Amino acid sequence: MSLLREAERFLASAARQKHLNAFISLPDISALLRQVQDAEDTGDKDSLNGKLIAIKDNICTSDLPTTAASGILKSFTSPYDATVVQQLRAAGGVIAGKTNMDEFGMGSHSTRSIFGEVCQETRSDRRVSAGGSSGGSAVAVARHNCWAALGTDTGGSVRLPAAYTGTIGFKPSYGLISRWGVIAYANSLDTVGIFARGAHDAQTVFNALNVHDPRDPTSLPPSTRSRIASVLAKRPLEWPPSKPSPPPGLVGPMPPLRIGVPIEYNIAELQPEVRAAWMQTLRILADNGHSIHQVSLPTTRHALSAYYVLAPAEASSNLAKYDGVRYGSRAPGSDASPETKSVLFAKTRGEGFGDEVKRRILLGAYTLSADAIDNYFIKAQKVRRLVQQDFDRVFALPNPLLDDQPANGENKKVDLLICPTAPTLPPTLKSLEGQSPVDAYINDVFTVPASLAGLPAVSFPVECVVDGVAIKVGIQAIGQYGDDHLVLNVASHCGILQS
Amino acid sequence: MFSRPSSSLIRGTAQGRYVCQACLRDVRTRRQLVANAQSLRLQSRALQTTTATEEVTPYRKQLKDEAKRQKLEGGSKPAKKKSKAKDSRLEKWELTVGIEIHAELNTARKLFSSAATASSDAPNSHVALFDVAFPGSQPHFQRETLLPALRAAIALNCTVQPKSSFDRKHYFYQDQPNGYQITQYYEPFAKDGHITLFDHDGIAPEDGKSITIGIKQIQMEQDTAKTIQAPPSTHLLDFNRVSHPLIEIITLPHIHHPSTAAACVRKIQTILKTIDAVTAGMELGGLRADVNVSVRERHNTTGTGPENSYYGVTGLGQRTEIKNLSSFKAVEDAIVAERDRQIDVLEGGGIIEGETRGWTLGSKETRKLRGKEGEIDYRYMPDPDLGPVIIGEDLVQALRNTLPKLPDDIASKLVSSAEYGLTMKDAKTMVALDDGERLDYYLDVVQLLHKDLEDDKALQGSVGRVAGNWVLHDLGGLFTTSEEVWSDMKVTSQSLASIISQLLRRHITGRTAKLLLATIFHGDQRTVRQIIEEENMTLRPMSREDYLAAANTLLSDNPDVVQAIKEKGQHGKIMFLVGQMVRRSEEGTMEAKTAESILKELLDIPNGE
Repeated sequence: MSLLREAERFLASAARQKHLNAFISLPDISALLRQVQDAEDTGDKDSLNGKLIAIKDNICTSDLPTTAASGILKSFTSPYDATVVQQLRAAGGVIAGKTNMDEFGMGSHSTRSIFGEVCQETRSDRRVSAGGSSGGSAVAVARHNCWAALGTDTGGSVRLPAAYTGTIGFKPSYGLISRWGVIAYANSLDTVGIFARGAHDAQTVFNALNVHDPRDPTSLPPSTRSRIASVLAKRPLEWPPSKPSPPPGLVGPMPPLRIGVPIEYNIAELQPEVRAAWMQTLRILADNGHSIHQVSLPTTRHALSAYYVLAPAEASSNLAKYDGVRYGSRAPGSDASPETKSVLFAKTRGEGFGDEVKRRILLGAYTLSADAIDNYFIKAQKVRRLVQQDFDRVFALPNPLLDDQPANGENKKVDLLICPTAPTLPPTLKSLEGQSPVDAYINDVFTVPASLAGLPAVSFPVECVVDGVAIKVGIQAIGQYGDDHLVLNVASHCGILQS
Repeated sequence: MFSRPSSSLIRGTAQGRYVCQACLRDVRTRRQLVANAQSLRLQSRALQTTTATEEVTPYRKQLKDEAKRQKLEGGSKPAKKKSKAKDSRLEKWELTVGIEIHAELNTARKLFSSAATASSDAPNSHVALFDVAFPGSQPHFQRETLLPALRAAIALNCTVQPKSSFDRKHYFYQDQPNGYQITQYYEPFAKDGHITLFDHDGIAPEDGKSITIGIKQIQMEQDTAKTIQAPPSTHLLDFNRVSHPLIEIITLPHIHHPSTAAACVRKIQTILKTIDAVTAGMELGGLRADVNVSVRERHNTTGTGPENSYYGVTGLGQRTEIKNLSSFKAVEDAIVAERDRQIDVLEGGGIIEGETRGWTLGSKETRKLRGKEGEIDYRYMPDPDLGPVIIGEDLVQALRNTLPKLPDDIASKLVSSAEYGLTMKDAKTMVALDDGERLDYYLDVVQLLHKDLEDDKALQGSVGRVAGNWVLHDLGGLFTTSEEVWSDMKVTSQSLASIISQLLRRHITGRTAKLLLATIFHGDQRTVRQIIEEENMTLRPMSREDYLAAANTLLSDNPDVVQAIKEKGQHGKIMFLVGQMVRRSEEGTMEAKTAESILKELLDIPNGE
């Protein structure tokens, strides 16, 4: 199929599925098709040439508004392109539009958007959650509105919607992909992630973005990147998964992997369908020569609480810049008046932010306050360190960021972890209405640990039949820091083994 | 001149420090804006509103008003009279002061972006995305900004920390685009320094010959934007200054006298200027100080009441903080006022609240800005975008080795070396003036004179002292009177050396020398020799008889003075007579020294007194 034909199909389905509310803004169609035509004319067979890629609306683009789905930025257009957008354009990619999301990335169902909620429909016409916060990108990919999409993952915002929509959702190691131009929610956790319908496509996009960017102070410098490469090169695996896998359909000679199953993830709240899919995945892997090992990550049960202290703390700080003074929306009239005793910017911020954002700003402001910081922020940072140490204890690959690297390849250690992405299948939007905010936070319980430790993780769909109905369940592969290609290859591998 | 900082401030204002008039205008505007912004800030931060529109008095008017008020109150030191009565209270109560000094670092780029630091350029012409907190932008630490900060740390005897880090200090204000200031709260880059002040630095007599004040830490941080008022209700923002690198120097509460506090700020400013760490002094808004003030009973052994401590200094009274002091005088006066207020409160049986107070130039009292309940919780958080700053010992060592000579070292050399022989007061002034340009000029003049007078060892001995007088007082006076900026081109060092040489060789009289200086100052392009020749200025010595005749006439014309000298022993009045005598004589004939000795002879006063 020609690139142009493919693009036209994507646009047609996007138009048909407008009601899913996956996009906040779309480019001019004729301009978009012209770009694709140009790409086709160059005949460049390169990776992303002429491919339609949707961008989450918290990633800056200079030609389309960037709103973060917030009232405070609802008519904001960035004066510059984020590095990832520049990289995609440079590789021939065509921006398919800006996708809907939870405001500033805060949410698990993509319902908290000033532009309305994202949804997906089941065969029985039920409106169910697309997951969040990158729900728009997930739906756009799942429903063939584009070839791939970028999202952001702070505590699971790419993996959870990927699990709910049956797509591949990849969160790379922290620091590999530039965050310059990505609107910060919680800088120390924010990671640009990739949605695709196959692991190989995700890998293709990842390869275009996996470059040091001097504009992002947390972007890994070349020296650290080569250090990771040298750690990976020492691994005694026959087929080095540190390289991209062969194209789909060509089952590569996957070496036998030691697969870890964290017992703490087998929680009581796990929905039976999800547990079944997890077991099925492990069975397929075992049947194909990989060994399964029980491992323990004892700090897991504190990870969620730590995350919901740290992320709001950073958010309360990052969102302090939205005051309507230099850009963004500003409440009409005087913003602060002595009569109403309203303080500086209070009206603008009060009107511009949604409830969940306000809730997290308040949470963060509290946990950073002089009286609370020791009990919350500092403790949560300690938990974060313990979570990382948990992972370092179970992975055979030493953490390349640490100096004192233990000898690798110990028998009890594993190459990667396999666990569910979310404890449940996507809930109906109706069922969310009566939920407390904390109920929504629970969805992140399996995704948050990898975020806290900065590890690469991918959610991939596993099809299983429950009561005679085939459903897709998101299963997650988590690797050691820097082992991004391994988790992607395993996702690809599992996809191939299933079919 | 330092004893009256306000006058130096006015002079600094009038002169500026820039040759280019456009720049000078910018600087004036800027300083004005800084002053406006500060008074504005105090006001509206207290209220936490943006709408507070305070009538802003122009800065120069403030200074003039202050001077007027002082005049009305009689003399330039109104505190003196009062202090007599308060002395007994000061015997009972001890003052303790700690200072925080914010200084604008002399760097080419901002702290976290590559934008230039040219604050005086057209508004908002040097602003990077991060400077105005655009969504998705990130800080980019400019390593070069460390260099002046490190020089300051070394000059203030601090230990440079091998690892430091940046934190966010949160508060909302329109001049703070991110909603937080990036500073170093948990791990500052320099700690545990000290500065020694000597009696000649202007410390309180009670502090004796010298006092050493501990420096707790120095941290790097960002400056804020400039707020420009456009009445009635508009605030214009200029983001050129945003993220200009600052250092904050925090002293320990080791200061017990207001004048010592002022001397401390003054000396720190001089040091920072000498090592080229800062852009400008207090008079141009390059330096600002906050002071923490508390008092305690000296002989309170009962230990009643809560005791406060700060970084190892214990047993302190409750302190208050006075923010944003922008002159040495303000530092001293604000401390005096706050000390007296606290004693009043305590003696009246009250207690001191930990609060933030403000000080308006020329006022007599500090005023409350916000109390404890209004204290801002800054919610300090490590900046997750910025990694630690690692500073190698080799860098610190290299900077230490290349550090310019400190003012104290230069001044003591000017005093102790026979080549210069200045008084400590003149030496300090010479070092402090015109960012070191006056000193350079002086050194040139001295060098030229030593060369010129090689043949006369006797004259060489006085060259340093005489040249000092001419550079500071005679030439300096001309600049002051004409309200001009110092320039070494107005009277070149060659011209001044030539004048002094002629004088020392007794080719011209002192009066002629002054006339020559003024002539050249006012634009005469001829050389000194030419002028002397063409204007017939060479000394035509008078005979002893002529001197005696002139002296006798003068004495008989001034019987009152003669009586005062002879009967009341007011020998100082001799110099008045010398002046009169020289003035009455014909230009270029009478030498003051000879006139003095003749007068003394006639008045029976031994020479050499």
